[in-house]
Amino acid sequence: MAKKLDIPNADDEALVRAAQRGAMPPYEELVHRHRDKIYARAFSMLRNEEEALDLSQGAWVKGWQRLKQFKHNSSFTTWMTRICINLCLDFLRKRKRKQTDSLDQMEEESGGVERRMPVEEFNPTENVEREELRLQIDDAMLKLSYEHRTVLILHEFERLEYKEIAKAMHCSIGTVMSRLFYARRKLATLLISLKKERHR
Amino acid sequence: MKHEDKLRIQAWMDGELAPKEAAQIATLIEQNPEALALSEELRVVENALHFGEKPVILDDSRDFYWSQIERQIDAEEPLPEPYAVPVTVSSNLLRWMVPVGSLGAIVILMMNFGAISPQTQPSVPGVISDAPVSATPTGLTESASGREEESTEPNGMGVINFQGIQGSRHLSDPEDPNTLPESIENPDR
Repeated sequence: MAKKLDIPNADDEALVRAAQRGAMPPYEELVHRHRDKIYARAFSMLRNEEEALDLSQGAWVKGWQRLKQFKHNSSFTTWMTRICINLCLDFLRKRKRKQTDSLDQMEEESGGVERRMPVEEFNPTENVEREELRLQIDDAMLKLSYEHRTVLILHEFERLEYKEIAKAMHCSIGTVMSRLFYARRKLATLLISLKKERHR
Repeated sequence: MKHEDKLRIQAWMDGELAPKEAAQIATLIEQNPEALALSEELRVVENALHFGEKPVILDDSRDFYWSQIERQIDAEEPLPEPYAVPVTVSSNLLRWMVPVGSLGAIVILMMNFGAISPQTQPSVPGVISDAPVSATPTGLTESASGREEESTEPNGMGVINFQGIQGSRHLSDPEDPNTLPESIENPDR
């Protein structure tokens, strides 16, 4: 007779395998364990609580529907995060199609702005508390367009390579490099100005 | 400094360059102050991002959050697969009977139609026509003897001689699956 799974104490892999056999309670436990992480990724990309909530829940629904395709080649949370990112990218693409780009956005897209940015020699991270720096980064990220924010998130926080980002964002590796370069340089400028503002 | 070189400096820092190109960029950074300043700026941003993201916590209760997911899963659960009819001898027989029966009905109709066709010579009671009969648009075929084998009735109506039909090599025997046309043997074609 099969041993009954101790759901609260089981590790993720055991829960996933049980859920792959069709058991819902282990999946519910996985949702409880990782819901903040998935919601946080959706929120960092969308910057809207309600949309992030909807899409994070949609990611869990999709995760359940595709659970049998999960081959345990990565961690379950990495796999779920990829689902969430893909949903967010689809959502943002659809939303962008409805919007008309401003001239600034178009210039950002074409990658011309960063060429005129002077190189910053002032270190914005010096003498800044960890939490304060996180808040500053969060503020600066908010000021980036979704393409630049997303490319930074995927590269810096999800540790994706250029080609993986290009695939996820449906663009070329050259575009990824340009967006990443712009996003980093813009972030440097924003962090410095934010630091100056706070110390004024 | 060219824009392409700036992008290559970034790619070098991200470990995305091939060893040979990486060596070229390392040399560029050593020799070019502008390249060095840019690499330092990018390094500062990278270090800042390593502090991580601002933590985000969901306000919804665990149960409420899950209940909404569960409801969506239930709503989007795929319908059960359509009930598959078990394959039985009778169902197999029925599968064959439909095309074979149709074929038989067509043959009978064609022969009947040929027998009452106005082009057919009106038969005299007791006399079998000697005229050679070849395949006609009505579907009648030559018998083994080269004649249309027809018995005659006093009222002139042709009666089909099934012996003659069965003897024909041009018609399929509905009972013998080996003689069935491919389209009937393989209904999927």
